Amino acid sequence: MWQRRAFLRAAGVGFVASLLPAQTEALDRADLVLAAAVQTSAGKYGAALVSERGEVVSKLTLPDRGHDIVFSPSGARGVVFARQPGTFAVVFDPAGSVAPVTLTSPEGRHFYGHGVFSPDGRLLYATESDFEAAKGVIGIYDATDDYRRIGEMPTYGTGPHELLLMGDGQTLVIANGGIETHPDYGRAELNLDTMDPSVVFVDRTSGELIGQVRLATGLHQLSIRHMAIDGRQRVWFGCQYKGEMADRPQLIGYATRDGEIKLVELPGDLLADMRNYIGSVAVSADGEMIGVSSPVGNLVVAISAETGRPSVIETVRNGCGLAPQGAGFIASSGDGALRGFAGATQADQAFEFGFDNHLAVLA
Amino acid sequence: MRKILVLLMLTMVAPVMAQEGKLPPPNAEAAKYPLVTRSSVLERAVNDVIRPAFQNFKDKTDAMTVAMDGLCVAPSSPNLDDAKLAFADVVDAYSRVEFFTIGPLGRDNRAERIFFWPDRKGIGLRQVQQVLAQEDETATTPDGLTSKSVAVQGLGALEFVLYGTGNDTLTSTDGDFRCRFGLAISKSLANIGSELVVDWMASDGIATHLMEPREDYADYRTKIEALEELVGFMSHGMEAIRDTRLLPFIGREGAPKPRLAPFWRSGLTMAAVQANIEGLQTLFEKSQIADAVGPTDMGLRASVEFEFANAFRAVDLVSLPVDQAVTRSKQMSALNYLVIVTQSLQTVFGEQLSAALSLSVGFSALDGD
Repeated sequence: MWQRRAFLRAAGVGFVASLLPAQTEALDRADLVLAAAVQTSAGKYGAALVSERGEVVSKLTLPDRGHDIVFSPSGARGVVFARQPGTFAVVFDPAGSVAPVTLTSPEGRHFYGHGVFSPDGRLLYATESDFEAAKGVIGIYDATDDYRRIGEMPTYGTGPHELLLMGDGQTLVIANGGIETHPDYGRAELNLDTMDPSVVFVDRTSGELIGQVRLATGLHQLSIRHMAIDGRQRVWFGCQYKGEMADRPQLIGYATRDGEIKLVELPGDLLADMRNYIGSVAVSADGEMIGVSSPVGNLVVAISAETGRPSVIETVRNGCGLAPQGAGFIASSGDGALRGFAGATQADQAFEFGFDNHLAVLA
Repeated sequence: MRKILVLLMLTMVAPVMAQEGKLPPPNAEAAKYPLVTRSSVLERAVNDVIRPAFQNFKDKTDAMTVAMDGLCVAPSSPNLDDAKLAFADVVDAYSRVEFFTIGPLGRDNRAERIFFWPDRKGIGLRQVQQVLAQEDETATTPDGLTSKSVAVQGLGALEFVLYGTGNDTLTSTDGDFRCRFGLAISKSLANIGSELVVDWMASDGIATHLMEPREDYADYRTKIEALEELVGFMSHGMEAIRDTRLLPFIGREGAPKPRLAPFWRSGLTMAAVQANIEGLQTLFEKSQIADAVGPTDMGLRASVEFEFANAFRAVDLVSLPVDQAVTRSKQMSALNYLVIVTQSLQTVFGEQLSAALSLSVGFSALDGD
């Protein structure tokens, strides 16, 4: 309740998305349009569409910090979700011809910052928290009916974060980070001693649990947060470790619908550089490379999906967002930089705003 | 020969000291402003702030044990008062170290065992009442307690023993079990206090790693990483004060809920908040971290000091127990103002001080997601 009211007040600021002629030209000229939640100055937040040439196509003002952006399969709509424990999501038209629509999570729920569309674009799924029960849910929104919330299903865990749709178009995969929070206590983590992270596969029509995999006992403080699906439908994930800084658990692994879960062995010095924190995970366009980022360690890494070995390690200060380009990736940074690596053609670009944790591509 | 040796040693040592900025400054003007280096900030933070603060916590838990022992041997009103005073000292001492969560305090659920908070579902109260109702003898030794829920091992449980329903039995032999339960909690806290001091004093422990980072250490490889930890204490500490100490009971929207305030039973809520803020202020001041920035950022110290002064003024205005304070508009305003000040200090530490020290912690990584 508290956040809904706070948000409705803030929403009075209004959102501006319609494109000026110069921006329309930039959009037409762009080969690639990227989107991200941004920080425009201390305490000021929004979302931005930018071209690979370094032009700002459009900007959206947000009442608070956003997180990930997801586009409908046709590219006609984008949705930027509030960072957890936010309660808003803004649906916008990348071309700026339709006014943005603001969604609010229902009473007793907040967003986790990630969502995904159904293959036909009719339904939007979002990870949410049923915070009184400390359980994760997937909110279901009807894109053909003003994004009315038409139901929810369980994530079979606590603290869900990213969710993706498998190649079959039917199975949702969700990273349950395992961390309990409650809006009464901000972002304080309430159950570090009893965390239970998992990767779950859920049928998006019935809501039934298809499979759930967990890491070995002893790794219960390894929070599974972000994912990407490779060419073989393996779900690669990146973790954030909540135990002692002196520990050095592996941070990257993959899970399959068949119940396999495996951490890949990264070299000790690379793990040390990653500082127990992976901020995002992406897969290259050909499905052969996995990109992972550590904004804490200021580095981005490309890992072969075939061998699990790192092939490119690049320093990007505050680098976190990752999007596929060619055989490699574009990284975005909290300092406002875009940089291509591992075979991407992206030239370095700099912006006046800082990119938040994720980078999306407008198809 | 001896003179020559001394001279030789001096010439050998001097360049090493100069690198760390520990040589006496060359003139009187500079002597007023001893050179602050990253190393000196880290060394002062550990030796002048963190280590003494944990030693103080250990000392206060020892005193608590003595006071509880006295109460159990000779139950009386004055001895109960003494135990309550000792409890207030422990709360004060813990409030000054609780945000140093790395290493020793983060290990073996020690932080949760000392103070299980936030306790959103009221688990602690239920379990403590159960122990008391059943007179569970296994809860009267530190070892027995260790095998129980963290919620019955620490300050929340001890507060209920001393201030909760039925506490009047502690002034007579009727409270024998209750007192022995409280004594076991005190001993358990003192044991943890000793472990914390031993770990922080260890010659090759976290203190050394923080003060003298090395490439082969898993936790702190560079001074930058160690400084990031110090700034993180201050930034995250301010966030925790606001989000877990103040806002839950002030009420983010809607009516205040004073029973969600930590230590409301003992009336120590605001004393604990004050000690929290003083603990972070001590770290900021004694480490001299604000003097390790470049000339253009020298104004940061004044900004921070100004906000700390605002925070303490607000704390002083909240003179009544929190259940009454939230019904008085002036005191409620002071609480709301404290929320704003802690937010401001969090931003100054997490963004401005961090940038001024050229730390790599950016807004994306600062508090994760």
